[in-house]
Amino acid sequence: MDEFQEILQDFLVESFELVEKLDEDLVELESRPDDLELLNGIFRVAHTVKGASSFLNFDTLTHLTHHMEDVLNKARHGELAITPDVMDVILESIDLMKALLEKIRDTSSDEGIDVSACVARLDKISNGDLSGLADAVAQEERKEAQEPKKEEEPKKEETPEEEEELDYENMTPEEVEAEIERLLAQRQAEDRAKREAKIAAGEEVPSMTPEEEEEPEKEEEQKKETPKAPAPSSQKSSSSKKAEDVKAAAPAKRAATTVEQTIRVDVKRLDHLMNLIGELVLAKNRLIKINSDVEERYEGEEFLEELNQVVSIVSLVTTDLQIAVMKTRMLPIGKVFNKFPRMIRDLSRELNKKIELVISGEDTELDKSIVEEIGDPLVHIIRNSCDHGIETPQERIAKGKPEVGTITLKAYNEGNQIVIQIDDDGKGLDPEMLKQKSLEKGIITEKEADAMSDKEAYTLIFKPGFSTATAVTSVSGRGVGMDVVKTNIEKLNGIIDIDSEIDKGTSIKLKIPLTLAIIQALLVGVQEEHYAIPLASVLETVRISKDEIYTVEGRSVMRLREDVLSLVHIGDIFEVERILDANEHAYVVVLGLGTSKLGLIVDLLVGQEEIVIKSLGDYLKGIEGIAGATIRGDGGVTLIVDVVALMDIAKETKVTQITSGAGSAVSEKTKASDYTIMIVDDSKTDRTIMRKALEPIGVTLVEAVDGQEALNLLKSGDYNVDAMLIDIEMPRMDGYTLASEIKKYNRYKNLPLIAVTSRTAKSDRMRGVESGMVEYITKPYSADYLASVVQRNVNFKPEFL
Amino acid sequence: MSDKLKEIINKQVEKNDNIVDQLDDVVQLVGFVIGDEEYAVPILSIQEIIKPFPWTRVPQVPKYVLGVFNLRGSVIPLIDLRLKFGLPPKRQSDDTRFIVIRDGDDVAGFVIDRLTMAIRIKKENVGPPPDTVNGDDTIIDGVGKQEDKIITILKVKKLLQRDF
Repeated sequence: MDEFQEILQDFLVESFELVEKLDEDLVELESRPDDLELLNGIFRVAHTVKGASSFLNFDTLTHLTHHMEDVLNKARHGELAITPDVMDVILESIDLMKALLEKIRDTSSDEGIDVSACVARLDKISNGDLSGLADAVAQEERKEAQEPKKEEEPKKEETPEEEEELDYENMTPEEVEAEIERLLAQRQAEDRAKREAKIAAGEEVPSMTPEEEEEPEKEEEQKKETPKAPAPSSQKSSSSKKAEDVKAAAPAKRAATTVEQTIRVDVKRLDHLMNLIGELVLAKNRLIKINSDVEERYEGEEFLEELNQVVSIVSLVTTDLQIAVMKTRMLPIGKVFNKFPRMIRDLSRELNKKIELVISGEDTELDKSIVEEIGDPLVHIIRNSCDHGIETPQERIAKGKPEVGTITLKAYNEGNQIVIQIDDDGKGLDPEMLKQKSLEKGIITEKEADAMSDKEAYTLIFKPGFSTATAVTSVSGRGVGMDVVKTNIEKLNGIIDIDSEIDKGTSIKLKIPLTLAIIQALLVGVQEEHYAIPLASVLETVRISKDEIYTVEGRSVMRLREDVLSLVHIGDIFEVERILDANEHAYVVVLGLGTSKLGLIVDLLVGQEEIVIKSLGDYLKGIEGIAGATIRGDGGVTLIVDVVALMDIAKETKVTQITSGAGSAVSEKTKASDYTIMIVDDSKTDRTIMRKALEPIGVTLVEAVDGQEALNLLKSGDYNVDAMLIDIEMPRMDGYTLASEIKKYNRYKNLPLIAVTSRTAKSDRMRGVESGMVEYITKPYSADYLASVVQRNVNFKPEFL
Repeated sequence: MSDKLKEIINKQVEKNDNIVDQLDDVVQLVGFVIGDEEYAVPILSIQEIIKPFPWTRVPQVPKYVLGVFNLRGSVIPLIDLRLKFGLPPKRQSDDTRFIVIRDGDDVAGFVIDRLTMAIRIKKENVGPPPDTVNGDDTIIDGVGKQEDKIITILKVKKLLQRDF
């Protein structure tokens, strides 16, 4: 059974690949009905699927493909002309085939799908019911086809049994063995025949008679040295016609013979590889950070240059490696685009419109996961363009446009993004009409409608529940489709951009990041925390002052050039405690996603970095506004902002006023020891002198040996410090820096800082004042003086003495 | 296959069974203190025990989820068991440790006040959780009796289960 499963898997993989190619070929066939090469290709698909499915006992599928094969076989022998009507039936049968294959994939059985109607139609065609109209053509074609037929004939002779369905089930193992061998031999013979056919001048007929054998050569000459005497053959006309065929088909054939060297790799392995690269990128970031630290510390040392070189090589190679692995996961977007010609064909028949699809940039590559996600949105957009965009032929003619509407599907790279652009030359979007419609449906309010720019109005089509089609057709108009587009594109961190002009057409641009695992991010700081924002969603950053922020209906907004941008503070969203004093200036990161924009206020822009997205795991998954985490160069974890969710949260978040001076409530002092004084000095002697001076008044004393320790002690909140005595000259962090650091915190705004120093210059005093010191005591001082300064500054109650 | 070979294999199987039997008799636990109580988790569920280091706060989670930290490239949630058990917060001291507990793919770090020791308790000395906390909802797996004290054994699955 396992073996069977294995064969089945191979069969399915092969079949789906073939079918995918088939759709494209068939539509092309309709425009070039006598392209033998195409027909042969299509026939081979039906044939292969039939052979394999009969071997695997999928009777329904065999039945269907057998009849398809009949029709196609006739077509390629020229006994049948491919008319749109015939094509409809063939396409229908291929759809059925796909359905059957999917059924087999899901249930390992092909039962439950009725193919009899389709088979009947196929039979009708192959029995020549349509020949009435096709006969004349067929006659002509038959002449042409005589030679190709000869090519087929030997093959046919070799494989006459193939058409009979053998009853494999009732065979003895020996018989099966024999059958396999026979099929194998047959296949080999076929291959050989094909190879020979190709060798023979890259095209056509390993002919029977020597006379004919010479012909291709003559034709070659004909091609090179134009008008030469026509070949003195009885089949003059047909041979020259053939020459044309040779010209047309030869390049295609040659392209097909250059077999691509590929191997199939399990996607899981690639994912694993990608994870490892992710780790490497993190390590690289860390190395770069360490390198810059080392550079700072050992400036001018000789080994630095060497280290620098190594670091840059490592980072270079890592980046290349990352790109290389990313490329292995890339698929050409053509894989998605391929299904659209067929779709457009069906739609235009259904809608009675004339639509031409122009595809370009199908070689543009995208990460596999994105290729899988992008299909649906594109289907919806293209359907929408067909249904709402392109007008009926009559309307188009009335407007003086060409009768055939054009939809252009284009993909190209733009920086770190890929852009997929869908243009149509239809009637365009009417912003006023869109607003009117949305008003009727209650999607927007009148006020919003008035304030809306045209561009914003276009984005209304992506609102759930919106549909401009007055009648619901089977194609669109249920108001679901475009909403799906927006959700899916946002899921990929993409941006949608619409442009339109009435009666000129509409252009929709989807901008999507190349990959999802490793991204460029903008790191921002809020209070003491850092967050990473995917750079793909960042449109720009602006520095603003506080008074540029206006409040409208309880929400912050700012004017950004022409537009009004709603603002939200990142601290409000992530419940960041406001411990640091707010700066006079703030930075606004303008986020763009899908079609909406939002300004995110942050305290600090840290920089741009390449980050690896890591999941927060099951325990913490689904936190609103957080897409994951990444590990930074210093080993710390930084959370990644989920821009999609952020936009949603922002709608509900109201501004919290920055609460100033809301430090811990000052508790009533009832005894001398309730007062806490911190002594910061690196000299033990100095600390002891201060201690001796203050002990008599009974206050609690805390000591720190430098600014850093003092700051940590203060932040830990273990002590409710009432005043600090600070030395200026200290290792790690000096007194000035300590003072300005402390003053950043709201709750220490009013904490008296007293400088105790031997620096007496006026400039030193000035610096002290600038950094927030309230008193300046110069060494040496008397114990009484120090005590009185401290008492004065903490409002020491004399009765405690 | 010769009979001799079979015999040897059978013997080995028996031996293995014996070892398993012996192991089955004893539960190995790691004990730790939170507040005034001693708790324990099975030693095999512990991936490692580390000294505290900085973590990153995560918004919109209960107070007892302190945030996430980086354990050699993995981002792991950090849970303060004091807060989770409704005790008042306490500053981390030199005894504070992070216990990283794993159950399948679920992994999390837990802040505990102090480690005690690795404990071997005979199976028969492990009783069910007290009736008052019985049911599927309890975080208590059982109560281990030792000569002078009892130890609450915690349910690893429950510890790692998100409950908000």
